Amino acid sequence: MSEWRRVFFDGLSLENPLTVLMIGLCATLAVSTKFEGAFFMGIAVIFVLVMSNILIAAVRKFTPDEVRIPIFIVIIASFVTIVDLSMKAFVPAIYLFLGVWVPLIVVNCIVLGRAEAFAYHNSVWLSVADGLGMGLGYTIIIALLAAFREIVGSGQLQFLGNTLISLPSWYAGPNIVLLFPGAFIIFGFIIGAQHALNRRLRAKSGKPEPAPAQTGCGGCTGCTK
Amino acid sequence: MSWWTQMALLLIGAALVQNILLTRFIALCSFFGISNSMKTSVGMSLAVIFVMVMASSATWVFYYWVLKPLGVGEFLYIPAFILVIAALVQFVEMYLRKYSPALYRAMGIYLPLITTNCAVLAAATESVKPGFFKMNMPYDFTFPQAVVYTLGVALGYGFALLSFTAMRERLDIAPVPRSLKGAPMSFIAAGLLSLGYIGLGSLFGL
Repeated sequence: MSEWRRVFFDGLSLENPLTVLMIGLCATLAVSTKFEGAFFMGIAVIFVLVMSNILIAAVRKFTPDEVRIPIFIVIIASFVTIVDLSMKAFVPAIYLFLGVWVPLIVVNCIVLGRAEAFAYHNSVWLSVADGLGMGLGYTIIIALLAAFREIVGSGQLQFLGNTLISLPSWYAGPNIVLLFPGAFIIFGFIIGAQHALNRRLRAKSGKPEPAPAQTGCGGCTGCTK
Repeated sequence: MSWWTQMALLLIGAALVQNILLTRFIALCSFFGISNSMKTSVGMSLAVIFVMVMASSATWVFYYWVLKPLGVGEFLYIPAFILVIAALVQFVEMYLRKYSPALYRAMGIYLPLITTNCAVLAAATESVKPGFFKMNMPYDFTFPQAVVYTLGVALGYGFALLSFTAMRERLDIAPVPRSLKGAPMSFIAAGLLSLGYIGLGSLFGL
């Protein structure tokens, strides 16, 4: 159980996919202009990640090494299709907002990267922990980024048609927060905060500092194969 | 508007106003992964310019001569384009290795990586479906327009990548707070660079 808990919390903090491993950034920065869109994107990623991790870990014993990447892609693509069609049916407004980024979860580095790096070598039970932790870590960061951008940029926070937070009407938000540069800059500060937090966590648990994190596609081995 | 002015506007619009890296968030992986050193950035930019123009020419011909007459262009273009691009990159790599070893050494290792670069697929898609990524062009591209447009996208990619690499090399020795050192500072720098590109947004009404 302690192993399960360690894997789960690593996904949230020490190995957060967005702020530490830095994979799957394109979709994150692009959909984080609205909180509800980012929230449902996170839910979609959690679902696809957990389900594909379970299935890939379950079939890992009889997956031939040479054709594992196509097999992963087929498994992931079927779960993404489920998400795609369900969102279209149940939350059409959000489906329209997310647009092309929902089908693009298939080629999202996070899902393929975890399949390759974790689920392929570990048991089903641990893979669930990894999927849940990574997915929750993704959702927390993207929701945080989106909530900040929506509140500061447009002065209110909406969720499924209800206005949750509304700043006074004299507030005129800086437009740049909603534009592309804002996404980069705010995300940079979020990563900085995560680094500071991780250093504190490591000092508390007595773990050594790791080598400087590789940016970009470093964590995802899908392209080099 | 004469033919030449239109082409020039298309080139500038694709390269600067709608810069693929800094105003549209496409191909960010390679942007942050490769911009560590000037040498790899130059190789990657050259390879992207080379492959992107060839890929878009091939997919344009494939779309208008094969997919559209068959009536399957609407829903089959993504798998078809990925296959065309992958096959093309493979052939280019084999050809370069045999006939032009110098060029192969300069950009050989980047060629396989480019197959999975979303910028190439995005440019190929846009040259048959203008407006797919909100480029302000309601009509279909002719073949020369598609080539010029793709060239613009690729030049914009190279320009943004090289300028960002130059900034990052300076940032490595700059005194920044400990928590922001490395990746966070690169993101903030990319944001400031992107701000410059946003400023070009209303250039020529593009």
